[in-house]
Amino acid sequence: MIWRQVLIIGTATLLAVLIEVTLLTRLGIPGATPDLVVVTVVAIALAMGPIQGAAAGFAAGALIDLAPPGDTLLGVNAVVYIAIGFITGLAVDPRDRTIPIMMGMTGLATGAAVLLTAGLDTMLGSERVDWEQIPVLALTSALYGVLLAPGVILLIAWMVRKATPEVLVS
Amino acid sequence: MFSRRTRILLAVLVVASLTFVILDLRGGQGPFATGRTVVSNVLGGLERGAATVFSPITGAGSWWSSMRDQADQIDTLGAENEALRTELNILRNDKARAAALDGLLRVASVGQYRFVPAEVIAIGPAQDFSWTVTIDAGRNDGIEQDMSVINGAGLVGRILKTTADTSTVVLIVDQGSAVGGRVAGTEEIGIAAGTGSQDSLEFELLDPLADVRVGDAIVTFGSKSGRPYAPGLPVGEVVEVEGTSGQLTRVARVRPFADMSQLSILGVVTKPPREDPRDSVLPRSDNLSIVPSPAPLGGDDAAPTDEGSASPATTQVPEEETAAVPVESGNP
Repeated sequence: MIWRQVLIIGTATLLAVLIEVTLLTRLGIPGATPDLVVVTVVAIALAMGPIQGAAAGFAAGALIDLAPPGDTLLGVNAVVYIAIGFITGLAVDPRDRTIPIMMGMTGLATGAAVLLTAGLDTMLGSERVDWEQIPVLALTSALYGVLLAPGVILLIAWMVRKATPEVLVS
Repeated sequence: MFSRRTRILLAVLVVASLTFVILDLRGGQGPFATGRTVVSNVLGGLERGAATVFSPITGAGSWWSSMRDQADQIDTLGAENEALRTELNILRNDKARAAALDGLLRVASVGQYRFVPAEVIAIGPAQDFSWTVTIDAGRNDGIEQDMSVINGAGLVGRILKTTADTSTVVLIVDQGSAVGGRVAGTEEIGIAAGTGSQDSLEFELLDPLADVRVGDAIVTFGSKSGRPYAPGLPVGEVVEVEGTSGQLTRVARVRPFADMSQLSILGVVTKPPREDPRDSVLPRSDNLSIVPSPAPLGGDDAAPTDEGSASPATTQVPEEETAAVPVESGNP
């Protein structure tokens, strides 16, 4: 039932994007904005597998670039999130999915997302990237990713179990 | 490794993303830009809805961050306020000091006294009943015993004791103090003795027939070589006259010009003027019957400097230690 998977991925990524740009960016949290979108992509990849993770990454990246006030190069986030979704889906063996490992994985993913996006933007000629801030942003983003991970991962796993139990990786 | 379907889907996704990148890099108008605008508009609408839903939370967030800012601001403003208040107090203090010095300079320049300025650093306790203060100038500054001490308003006292760097001043209101005085504008002399109260002196006239009125000013008569009191220093103003003319002694109550409760900058007269300045140093005031004149009458003036030693009255006046002296001289 492919359309149920599409529905879950679409809804989860859209909600993540909306929450991130309307809520999390405005809380005035120091350092990076908590990257709920990447955490969601990771959670989908962990719950459904690498190919669904890649699809979620594509959807999330496209949405975050299209959603106002996004003004970065369209598609850069999509490429980065595809890689993140696909790799996390592959990397974590279904047999050792414990909460700490998944949290660590999410932290790595959110930190890596900052570095990869900045790197790609720079390579494509963006002059906005301030590399002096990148270490702080990557570290705080990884920290917030770790903190967000348990809730988001459990929520996505619950959604998948309800909607499309046949794809649930467990 | 992966199934054919997986590989195809992955490739499609990556190619689509890169196509976006390329199209976006190319820029300009076209179906891509239009499509992008449409999607952005839809997402924008959704965001507006989401923002409304989340507004209590974001409001709380901004409230929190503004609280944090306000706390910082309050701290900053508090510190600034403290600093400004300190500065204001210092300025006020400086202003008062400047005013005191100005007054002192006026007295000193009009009367041509040479003085050493000094600041009051200690005041004798009230329960000692001694009206004494300590100033921050001593022998090293050329101060010796029995020099006159003035401030901008008039005579304050005389030097009682000196140390290397400080001196003790006994104020004219001290009960042991007696100043040889003269009613300004006349030749009536007497002894202004301290009463122990800060705003009153008892001025006993040597001549019981003397005509003294309320409002008359008293200046120092002067002692030999200007010690303990240099001539011409304003002492106070007569506020009350007791006893009628012709009585054995006449006593006038005199309010000192210098406010003994607010002494800050004092001047120690190290060298009295060569000539008695007579009444020229008196404060400018409408209440006083004597209008100070910078150039007093020549005929009267020639004598006074030497008068200190010549006249029998003056030899007594400097020895103003007891009130007995004027009484005796008043008797005949």
